[in-house]
Amino acid sequence: MATRRGFLASFAAALTVPRLSWADAGNPGFLAAAKQGDGFILCGLAPDGQIVFRIPLPARGHAAAAHPIRPEAVGFARRPGTFALVIDCARGEIAHRLTPPEGRQFNGHGAFSADGLLLYNSEVVAETSEGRIGVWDAARGYARIDEWPSHGIGPHELRRMGDGTLVVANGGIQTDPADRRKLNLDTMRPNLTYLSPEGALLDQVTLHPDLHQASIRHLALGADGTVACALQWEGDPAEAVPLLALHRRDHPVVMCPTPENEAWAMKGYAGSIALGGDRIALTSPPGGVVQVFDTAGNFIETIRRTDASGVAPLADGLMVTDGTGAISRLGPDGLVPLQRHDLAWDNHLVALG
Amino acid sequence: MGLKNLAMAVALLLASPAHADVAGAINNRILPDLGAFRDATRTLAETAAETCAPETLRPVWNAAFDAWLPVSFLRLGPAEDEGRILAIAFWPDPKGIGARQQRQLLQSQDAVVGDPAGFAERSVALRGFFALERLLYPTEPLTGDYPCALIRATAADLARMAAEIDQGWRDGFAQTLLSAGQPGNSLYLTEAEAKQALYTQLMTGFEFTADQRLGRPLGTFERPRPERAEARASARSLRNVELSLQSLLAFGEALAGPLPETRADVAQALTAAAALKDPDFSGFAQPQGHVRAEALLGLVRTAQDSAGAEAGAALGVEVGFNSADGD
Repeated sequence: MATRRGFLASFAAALTVPRLSWADAGNPGFLAAAKQGDGFILCGLAPDGQIVFRIPLPARGHAAAAHPIRPEAVGFARRPGTFALVIDCARGEIAHRLTPPEGRQFNGHGAFSADGLLLYNSEVVAETSEGRIGVWDAARGYARIDEWPSHGIGPHELRRMGDGTLVVANGGIQTDPADRRKLNLDTMRPNLTYLSPEGALLDQVTLHPDLHQASIRHLALGADGTVACALQWEGDPAEAVPLLALHRRDHPVVMCPTPENEAWAMKGYAGSIALGGDRIALTSPPGGVVQVFDTAGNFIETIRRTDASGVAPLADGLMVTDGTGAISRLGPDGLVPLQRHDLAWDNHLVALG
Repeated sequence: MGLKNLAMAVALLLASPAHADVAGAINNRILPDLGAFRDATRTLAETAAETCAPETLRPVWNAAFDAWLPVSFLRLGPAEDEGRILAIAFWPDPKGIGARQQRQLLQSQDAVVGDPAGFAERSVALRGFFALERLLYPTEPLTGDYPCALIRATAADLARMAAEIDQGWRDGFAQTLLSAGQPGNSLYLTEAEAKQALYTQLMTGFEFTADQRLGRPLGTFERPRPERAEARASARSLRNVELSLQSLLAFGEALAGPLPETRADVAQALTAAAALKDPDFSGFAQPQGHVRAEALLGLVRTAQDSAGAEAGAALGVEVGFNSADGD
């Protein structure tokens, strides 16, 4: 079904001859936001770490979503998000500015439908942190056309799966709408929610009650329907808990612990996650480490990298960006620096396609 | 970049005749302090091999703990490898894992005490200073020969780890920091990264003393938690705060040159700490003791802020962009 829909979409796209494609933006493989000097930029990156375009941003972004066909990136503001920008990466211009409806705040992440017709994003009812999925018409100037409940508190990352299903990390944290202060750490109960492309609740799973303070925040997808979840521990930092959880629908959640000697290296905080080839990598900027697992969730190693944060799959491994400006490749030969730029890469690295 | 670095280097030279920098921190503080820690734990292990009398071992254990504090915040390199730093000082341990495991060992009279390599593989919660504290300051008297064998095994394991950390720094890790930015150094890609790594140890060291050593037993005014104090049985909770602050200041100045505001803040915190006259923090349960300890915590945080600003400016680094503010 998905392939049929995708085929029709690309067929239609080919017929209508899109004015510009990602080739017009230098064919980046990745998008990453950065701080350069006192300003902020969005960059397109080639797989070798070269910058193929850079576009100024008016403020610090959090994560970007790349349009599957057109050279458009949607950059979401940091929480509490009051705007998102649709950036024309070929022309280097801001094409649209998205504003949340009254009483709502964007929550940092978004995803396009496979055909690029719709943009979905995570947002909250500002007063209660109840989760919503905003739906925008990417074919018609990003008009707001719908919204659905995310079926949880404080949704953060959402991803579109191969079959069009949306999977949402409801982080569980209620925050003060003005200052992001966390209000419900004693009672938080994050969940992972699956929604149909039309917004119907398909499935929902939670972690073991002992881990109710492990906020599910970032997601990576495996080809077999595995959803790899990166967690942030809001409980006692002296307790070491697994920060990687794997889930496939109709299967139980698998928690993926590390050996005791490595259990505090992440400082309870996984900032980003990616699944590439036969590896899953989690980054921890406060720990200055990348932890690597196999796709079954078996721990492999901890790799040190200052302020490591962004991570995304490469053809032959994973790409890691950090706050020192370095771009590295994580492969069989460990973490190898590819490029260094005079800027600080921000939280997330987003792979196109 | 080059000009800026040069200007900074000149400024540093002018400001600090003692030549504070990464090399200064390594040669003037880290290596001598690691050597002292190695020697103090060796003395502890040697003394334990001769006697298990707590009255003889306690001062030697305390001397080793004193020697630990100046290097306890260096959570990088050989200290991180093989979980050494976790095993040396497994605290805080909110679920009492260390005590539980040690009880099981004592009950089963596990033969691992006669097998140093096997003991080194056991849980980090079972080893190190706090394991020894439970044996040297037991809540119930320990009987039979087994506790003595366990004291010896734990002390020898501690001395082994101290020697390995010291060796690891001398044999390579110091050079890894000093060769930052040179070809072949895959850990520190620029000189700034090595500076930032040591700067981060300074910051997290202050943070640990504030949040864990003081914040944990403070709890809240309504619910103080003095039973959570570090090294409570040996009544060195306050001493650990004092020694850690002195060590952090000395390290910070060896790394970044004179830190006058930090120095003044640390002096104020030390005065406030001494005035507590509360070696094991049991006074945190009283309203007056709690208020005064909270004031001390505030002074430690002020010292941390000053150290962050002064050392950060001198070194030209700050806390990582993403570490400082994630989501």
